[in-house]
Amino acid sequence: MTVRARIREFIVESFFVDDFSDDDSFLRNSIVDSLGMLELVAFLEKEFRIKVSDAELVPENLDSLAKVCAFVERKKIVGTAA
Amino acid sequence: MCGIAGFTFSYGLPAEERRTRFGIRVRRMAASLRHRGPDAQRALLLDGVALGHARLSILDLAGGAQPMRDPSTGVAIVFNGEIFNYLELRERLASRHAFRTRSDTEVILASYLDRGIDCVLDFIGQFAFAIYDPRLKTLWLARDRVGILPLHYTETAEGLAFASEAKALFAGGWRTPALDARGVKQTLQLWSPVVPRTAFEGISQLAPGSVARWSNGRLQTWRYWDLDLGVEPRSQLDAAGAEEELGALLEDAVRLRLRADVPVAAYLSGGLDSSLVCSIAQSQLGGTLTTFSVAFDDPAFDERTFQDEMALRLATRHRAVPLGGREIGELLPAVVRHAEQVLLRSAPAPLFRLSGLVRACDTKVVLTGEGSDEIFLGYDLYRETRVRQFWARRPGSKWRPALLRRLYPYLPMSQQGHELLQQFFAIGLDDPQGPGFSHLPRWAASGRTLRFLSRGFAESAAEEDPVASVLASLPARVRGWKPLARAQYLEMQTLLSGYLLGAQGDRMLMGNSVEGRFPFLDHRLIEFAAALPDGLKLRGLTEKWILRRYAARWVPKGILARRKYPYRAPISSALTGPDAPAWARELLSREAIRKAGVFSEEKVEKLMAKLSTRSGAASEVDSQALTAVATTQLLVDQLLPPPPVPQREVDAVDLETA
Repeated sequence: MTVRARIREFIVESFFVDDFSDDDSFLRNSIVDSLGMLELVAFLEKEFRIKVSDAELVPENLDSLAKVCAFVERKKIVGTAA
Repeated sequence: MCGIAGFTFSYGLPAEERRTRFGIRVRRMAASLRHRGPDAQRALLLDGVALGHARLSILDLAGGAQPMRDPSTGVAIVFNGEIFNYLELRERLASRHAFRTRSDTEVILASYLDRGIDCVLDFIGQFAFAIYDPRLKTLWLARDRVGILPLHYTETAEGLAFASEAKALFAGGWRTPALDARGVKQTLQLWSPVVPRTAFEGISQLAPGSVARWSNGRLQTWRYWDLDLGVEPRSQLDAAGAEEELGALLEDAVRLRLRADVPVAAYLSGGLDSSLVCSIAQSQLGGTLTTFSVAFDDPAFDERTFQDEMALRLATRHRAVPLGGREIGELLPAVVRHAEQVLLRSAPAPLFRLSGLVRACDTKVVLTGEGSDEIFLGYDLYRETRVRQFWARRPGSKWRPALLRRLYPYLPMSQQGHELLQQFFAIGLDDPQGPGFSHLPRWAASGRTLRFLSRGFAESAAEEDPVASVLASLPARVRGWKPLARAQYLEMQTLLSGYLLGAQGDRMLMGNSVEGRFPFLDHRLIEFAAALPDGLKLRGLTEKWILRRYAARWVPKGILARRKYPYRAPISSALTGPDAPAWARELLSREAIRKAGVFSEEKVEKLMAKLSTRSGAASEVDSQALTAVATTQLLVDQLLPPPPVPQREVDAVDLETA
């Protein structure tokens, strides 16, 4: 399963949404609530073995499926390089 | 307080036929409201109308029996509630009306005979009543200004039927109980159906502050009072003057609400409002006040320290009932039976338990602090609206939205990063003049529960957009008000009258035959607060500023300074854990969800799995969804169809034909 598909599945399973596009803002569209954001981060850390710092908890990294995918891909590269 | 019921039918039927055809129906209706009035149940069959009453005797214990009829005109009344200024009105009317009782019921009757239905304008009180006037062949219904007491009606093949609660309309056989898909959908997002809609198909509620006239087979309703927040603020009033006036009004509101021929006690939550009401009441009673509190086993919800501090300081006779999550789960079926509504929080359950304690202590009347947050801008929602308005003026500002963190330090997100928090609260920021501006973040969050609806149910309510419905219900003038005023109006229309005073208020009190009285909802105080400049209510981000200033005379610093504590009760673990009550295991099963047809069984199953396996606290949205599912299942299970009224209770209703 691709990173994108895995994250999408997590969102659907955890937040009970049927349909959303890759660029829909999670927060503005109430797809994920504030506690849900923390669930999402915990999931990313565990699933993709990455560490998310406080400074990285910003909408640019987390507020849509496309942004989360890009963020995870970047982190994985950094993780591999290190 | 009491329960009322009745209906109209064809004129000119012989007494015997009226008795056989309609006697049983009105008796069943009155009997179904026995919890509201266990002291006596009576019914009266007149030409063309039946009136039923269940009585909780509080004033004129001997003489206040109902239905009550004026012997000279034949005008008859059934009344639920209290007219607190009845003594003053009685004095004013005494020269024109020969009073036969000491009750406030007769004061309403005399006022109506004196000036017609406009008499409601003279009443300081909480009421729902029906008056039948045979001279006009007209049935009048009226409900108090903010909707403290309920009043439902339905049009029938015979005419109009009305009752305090929907269950009486079912008991009378006027409607086959069925869910109103739109009403349910509205409740899931807005916390209550949009008036006149209810959770049940074909059953309407009379809007607060309204009267209805049923005459010649036609129903007309109109508002005789509405919250006016468009009044010119009294800008010349300084803080000291406002504090004096507030004190005089609140103390008088408490004084009037201590009028009863039985002892009046009070709820003490440990917050500012109830502490203040208890302090004033104790001083007026000269030291005989009894106070009641709920104490939660879970320290995250518990306010015991503050309750004990206040009770000790006031030297009240204090009683507390401890409560755990498990008991809340066990109480929910009875809670839903009384509430007759889908609930998004379990908070009514502890209040149901509390009124049970009151009743067990042989007390029938309690004062509460409800209403203060609505009229003096106490809720976080108002502070949030102010911050978001401030932010909307410079949407690019980095530091303006940072104020949100000060509002919600307890939200997990605000510890993590305010940029994510901002994103959530930015909903509607592009339209700060929009009528729903204040409530959009909340409604977006609660709207997530709609995702759990089954496909079939969602389709049956596809036309319904709850946010559009509630905004369409706003009178045109409200749109021209300032943002805080619009927020306040919406809050009073949806949360206060539709939920706090109903499902969580009257229904939880009357479920155990206890009457609540609400000094902060005295309309003189509401009108006073409405005319205060915003700066005296919400000063910067300090809520209820003028009330705090006045309260400092009565309440210790520790209570004044404490952070506002959203009243919550635990739920998720109670329904999903190993200790879940039997009803929850049964009604939340895949099979039961499918059978009820409201929610998707797959999604509910996922939600249950998520809640039972999570490590930390359940999110607010998930808890809300679970509560909504559980209470909808209970509503369907218990009220569709409702249990039959026990025959001995029907037999106990005294029927008079006149």
